[in-house]
Amino acid sequence: MNERTLSLVLPLASAVAIVVAWQLAVQLGGIRELILPAPSAIAGKLFGTLPSLLQQAAVTGREALAAFVLAVAAGFAGAAAISSSKILREIVYPAIVTLQLIPKVALAPLFVIFLGIDHEARITFAALLSFFPVLISTSVGLANTDLSTLRLCRSLGASPWRTFWSVRVPFALPHFFSGVRISSTMAVTGVVIAEFISAKEGLGFAILAAGARSQTAGAFAAIAVLCILGLALYGAVAGLERLAIRWYRG
Amino acid sequence: MDTLAIPLATASDASGADRGFIQVRQARKVYASGDKSVEALSDVSFDVARGEFIAILGPSGCGKSTLLMMCGGLEAATGGTIDIAGSPMTGPRTSIGVMFQDPTLLPWKTVLQNVMFPAHVLGKPDAEYRDRAQQLVDMVGLHGFENKRPHELSGGMRQRVAICRALLNDPDILLMDEPFSALDAITRDEMNEALLDIWRHYGKTALFVTHSIREAVLLADRVLVMTRRPATVVADIRVPFGRPRDISVAETPEFTRLCTELRGMIEHGGGKRDRRPGDGPILQPGRHGGQA
Repeated sequence: MNERTLSLVLPLASAVAIVVAWQLAVQLGGIRELILPAPSAIAGKLFGTLPSLLQQAAVTGREALAAFVLAVAAGFAGAAAISSSKILREIVYPAIVTLQLIPKVALAPLFVIFLGIDHEARITFAALLSFFPVLISTSVGLANTDLSTLRLCRSLGASPWRTFWSVRVPFALPHFFSGVRISSTMAVTGVVIAEFISAKEGLGFAILAAGARSQTAGAFAAIAVLCILGLALYGAVAGLERLAIRWYRG
Repeated sequence: MDTLAIPLATASDASGADRGFIQVRQARKVYASGDKSVEALSDVSFDVARGEFIAILGPSGCGKSTLLMMCGGLEAATGGTIDIAGSPMTGPRTSIGVMFQDPTLLPWKTVLQNVMFPAHVLGKPDAEYRDRAQQLVDMVGLHGFENKRPHELSGGMRQRVAICRALLNDPDILLMDEPFSALDAITRDEMNEALLDIWRHYGKTALFVTHSIREAVLLADRVLVMTRRPATVVADIRVPFGRPRDISVAETPEFTRLCTELRGMIEHGGGKRDRRPGDGPILQPGRHGGQA
């Protein structure tokens, strides 16, 4: 077996092993369904309520995607700004780091006050949560541009704008995408947290509603859909990363 | 300055009218950090004629790279003036090509794209430069490697790409900052030969910084010798070999003798301190006036 198939087979095998062990533990260990439903029960619930779950997933997915796009745009723009101006960096960076230290989950209820209980509040909150990784990793990437290449650009009379797009951005792409990947998972997390607080729909709301009615299997089914949603977004980002690096770097 | 009083040497292949193509007058560079200041370069003056190849030779840390960067407009002078083609240096110009110790190729671009980078980064259309880039690549012997990436090339090949890139805009002056010092001795000889060959075709004015005496004598029409204390030019030596020149001149006794003289100058801060009349000939600038 070569390395490629191995890296495909091993994760699948471990997932299957976990599910089988789970199923056996619940069936043989006599765990009550209220505490931990068996994977078979969750799958049954999942397929039984699929249309409604997909509807909830569409709501959460749209919000997460909007938050993610906002976060990436803001993170990139912010990193470009603070990497181009030392003064701006001195002003903004400490504030950003301080803000980073606040558990942002604690801010979620405030967004209801600021922006109401609609999409805007949830999208904004999730964007805030997921924008830091892009900002930090992109500014690290931009700051690490090869110094002699920058000197070369200066000797060629290149404008800062041209230098930015032709040299700094391509050099920073790997850093940028490592931030974007983290941000994609945090956008989903952010939307779910916001839905816990203020939503009437979405997967977060479905989990909360199932929990309130002690429908553990229902909550797990929603969580399973959430996982798939998160994986899909992450996978899309990983694919985009390959494309972007190949396209941008020629 | 009373070092080997240095008259203007006339380049073998340049007319007298162009003698002051590059004029450096009392150039100084002081790096200040806090209340300490370090004089990286003190009171350097020299002239370069159009078409001359000048080697700036000195030990590391003597300020020779600083001097070169000042000539390229990449470092501001603390004092004195540097005039090129009749106007003072205020910043980088496209009429000056620069080569650094590191080839600084962009790893994601092909050889041809790297050669065209000076045009690309100024927003000029690639199509206008493709033919010239291809000619340059062919000239340095990289035909067939146009679409390779830098990591697929040897160190010498990468520096050849950097030469092509520096020549893309057809600059009047080429500044080279120890471009071959990271290469092994054999590759270095090859690159020196390649540069001599390119010189035959292009005949630009060149300032070439090096700490290799052999390289300086092999390549240059004149060698400016720099020392660390003071950080200044202590001698201006004309190299007596004509052009076209090839690497076999390095085997002549005259070449060896000149290298020995230069080594003495570097070791003794200009080599004049301990000399007395009658000590024998010290190389006088212009004495061997090239006959090209």
